[in-house]
Amino acid sequence: MNSYRYEELKIGMCESFDVAVDEAAFSSFLEITGDINPLHNDRNYAEKKGHRDRVAFGMLTSSYLSTLAGVYLPGKLSLIQSVEVKFLKPVILGEKLRVSGEIVDMNDSVKRIELRVIITNEDKVKVLKGRMQVLLDE
Amino acid sequence: MTREEVFEKLTEVFRTVFDDEEIEINDETTSADIEDWDSFEHINLIVAVEKAFSIKVPMGKVTTMKNVGEMVDIILGDKNS
Repeated sequence: MNSYRYEELKIGMCESFDVAVDEAAFSSFLEITGDINPLHNDRNYAEKKGHRDRVAFGMLTSSYLSTLAGVYLPGKLSLIQSVEVKFLKPVILGEKLRVSGEIVDMNDSVKRIELRVIITNEDKVKVLKGRMQVLLDE
Repeated sequence: MTREEVFEKLTEVFRTVFDDEEIEINDETTSADIEDWDSFEHINLIVAVEKAFSIKVPMGKVTTMKNVGEMVDIILGDKNS
């Protein structure tokens, strides 16, 4: 786990990690949220809707932003204040994603950073983009 | 910038941050007077004040200011320094 202090950060710094949106992730998310929508839980239904397999919960995909801030940038001292995301493409069961963040703004008075976040699939296609504001809880 | 001008502009900042057009502020206003003014919104408020007045609030003052009057003092201190 990273543990950047505010003074160690600067605009332009980037961090990223890879994650597989697998059956275990689907099952855990379903158990936590109770979202039984068939697009995420019924392969036949998802295929009828034009997808090759079940579609990941959008909030499951965005949940990895918690890891991005809490483990990578800034890491241990992270306190997420806001998240804004747009879902650009469906994520299908089994896909591997790269979760990336770049510091695009910093406020010294309140020790808050703003991250531009992007999640891409194996074909390097953006499936999510957004912004996060993260406080440094020092 | 006069104190009255600061209050006029600061009132608009408060109304935008707290999404409440009814908010009125004075020197004695504190977080206890505005329902949504918690520690998280205080951060947003400071950032909005900095942008609105083109100032930097000293880091040590962010959490120690006791009321709106002190916030106005900081703004005026920066603008008139």
